[in-house]
Amino acid sequence: MQQLNAWFTDLLAGNEIFTANTLGYYADGLATTVQLVFLSLIIGLLLAVPMAIGRGSSRPWIKWPIFFYTYVFRGTPLLIQLYIIYYGVVFVEGIQDTWLWLILEEPFYPALIAFTLNTAAYTTEIFRGAIKATNKGEIEAARAYGMSRAKMMRRIILPSAFRRALPAYGNEVIFMLHASAIASVVTIMDLTGAARFVYARFYAPFDAFLFVAAIYLCLTFGILYLFRYLEKRLLAHLRPQN
Amino acid sequence: MIDLQGYGPRLLEGALVTIELALLSLLVSVILGLLTASAKMSRSWLAHRIATLYTTLIRGVPDLVLMMLFFFGGQIGINMATDWLYYQFDVDIFINIDEFVAGVATIGLIFGAYMGETFRGAFMAVDNGQIEAARAYGMSESLMFRRVRFPQMMRHALPGLSNNWMVLLKTTALVSVIGLTDMVRVAEEAAKATHEPFTFLIPVAVVYLVIASLSEWFFARLQKRYDVGFGGEECNN
Amino acid sequence: MAATPLPLEVINLKKRFGDNEVLKGLSLKAHKGDVISMIGASGSGKSTFLRCMNLLEQPNEGELIVHGESIDFKQTRRGREPANWRQVERIRAKLSMVFQSFNLWAHMTLLENVVEAPIHVLGKPKKEALEHGRALLDRVGLLERADYYPTQMSGGQQQRGAIARALAMEPEVMLFDEPTSALDPELVGDVLKVMRDLAEEGRTMIVVTHEMSFARDVSNQVIYLHQGVIEEAGAPAEVLENPQSDRLRQFLAPKF
Repeated sequence: MQQLNAWFTDLLAGNEIFTANTLGYYADGLATTVQLVFLSLIIGLLLAVPMAIGRGSSRPWIKWPIFFYTYVFRGTPLLIQLYIIYYGVVFVEGIQDTWLWLILEEPFYPALIAFTLNTAAYTTEIFRGAIKATNKGEIEAARAYGMSRAKMMRRIILPSAFRRALPAYGNEVIFMLHASAIASVVTIMDLTGAARFVYARFYAPFDAFLFVAAIYLCLTFGILYLFRYLEKRLLAHLRPQN
Repeated sequence: MIDLQGYGPRLLEGALVTIELALLSLLVSVILGLLTASAKMSRSWLAHRIATLYTTLIRGVPDLVLMMLFFFGGQIGINMATDWLYYQFDVDIFINIDEFVAGVATIGLIFGAYMGETFRGAFMAVDNGQIEAARAYGMSESLMFRRVRFPQMMRHALPGLSNNWMVLLKTTALVSVIGLTDMVRVAEEAAKATHEPFTFLIPVAVVYLVIASLSEWFFARLQKRYDVGFGGEECNN
Repeated sequence: MAATPLPLEVINLKKRFGDNEVLKGLSLKAHKGDVISMIGASGSGKSTFLRCMNLLEQPNEGELIVHGESIDFKQTRRGREPANWRQVERIRAKLSMVFQSFNLWAHMTLLENVVEAPIHVLGKPKKEALEHGRALLDRVGLLERADYYPTQMSGGQQQRGAIARALAMEPEVMLFDEPTSALDPELVGDVLKVMRDLAEEGRTMIVVTHEMSFARDVSNQVIYLHQGVIEEAGAPAEVLENPQSDRLRQFLAPKF
């Protein structure tokens, strides 16, 4: 351990850019990115499930507002959504006098709101597709065995739809990780923010951005393998056994 | 009407930049995508490896980071190259990276990787029996490609192509961050200057929505054309 | 006298799809232990009739009485509907259906399929349901497949599993909708054997089938449907050996 430590210090000593100090920025940035992405994905997921169900409702006043919401959020750049929420919060008059300001003052929260609404829209459509693809015969069997609509949704349709949605949702998670890089635009010191800071300070674009690209690459592969593992476990029922 | 407080003409210019940027990037990405797909299916081990490395790296790193790397790094890289030329061969050239060109190159490079996957999948989806039939009837390779493989490949490629285009369109917004004056940049500046964010940002969002909706309609029509002979149900996979 | 109510009685059931009347006033009485085979050409309405019995299709007219309980209907803008879906759910739980295409839930193992409705619809304790489920799988010869997923089994095994799922509900009546039609010929025998055992055990069964040998040897009543009408009904010996109408004679004639 001590040897390793010494080796590491030596390595850092010979390097002007990646000092313990700048590495600290990257570490903080990593924490911020992970928090931002993780929180928005979790909240987005919780919002998306009821919306995906509502999107298939036969009642127009449930169905159409959800469709409109997903259409707008999937049809416009996340950057615009972020700007609208961020500047909307900053410049809207009177907001700074309310208790809301205590939360919204930090750029982290407008970014979290924008990311959450964005991923919720995509996730809603992913789940919607998966729910629609449920085998009609399986639904019929559930009805024939006396399940109520709610029970059928909970026990048959959603569990099977979640499994089917897994590959697409894995892509969405990676997409969110990558999209979160724009948080740096509204002064958040996420991973990309740290890279921009290092770039600006040392005017060393290759070091700053290649390093951060490598971190993103590792995170991406981590997510990829996690979902491959989940698919292997949860989609076992789709693989014929030889 | 909305009072754009004199930002109207600049917003319009920005919108044109966005559209030009998107279309040119699309062109670059389609060419790169076709090259990548052929490299991935070629028998050359090296070509295959390079193409795989390219698609893996590009798809594993955020667009914005790549954009900053190419844009900020690109200029320094070129300066280093021209310096080297000067010291070694006394050739004195100066190349200044134009933001627009950098934007097109970066977005094209990013989406070339996605297009590569789309084209490869579409290429492999074409029924081999029909290719054999074309050969059996004495078609040359190029005639076979033009008359049999390409039209069928397009049918399979269109959904992916349309999807990539939609994502590409939205990705163009990122160039505003590296200093290109597209409509997002103008809107953001105006929002900051006037303290009226909604007046400028919402119309820009609407423009994106309109372009996306028109594209959707256009691709649906195109799909219909290429779906001839395949029945209606098959096309929604 | 307090007669035990019939497991299932259908009175004058009519069903229309648009202007097309597919069931023209059908009645049926199933006594306890009856095995009723419904035969007829495709399009005769026999499957629709069966699906009306547990309200997978809504009949436009007629009465359904399950174990003495009559299903309430009401008239809505969309036509006639059950007045109380709770009641329908409760009644469906008493009539287990076995489908032509098995319709096992693909994301659950065989055993999970069998215990799903007993636990979550009937509210049976989990331990008891699992015990019962294993016993039923053993009965249909699939105990060693309990932890397999449906896609990992042959069609015949899936259908026997589906029968175990139906049995787990301890149903009043079992409804079979062409249970062997989707199977490869060599797999039909195992499924028919299970059904034969159930009949011998005294289960009340209504079976839509093309298997004439099953209708002849196992059932105690055969109904021949033609264009939404019960054309002939009675003991298999009467109906199958001595058909009255030309149509039934034609239907039964060996095909080349």
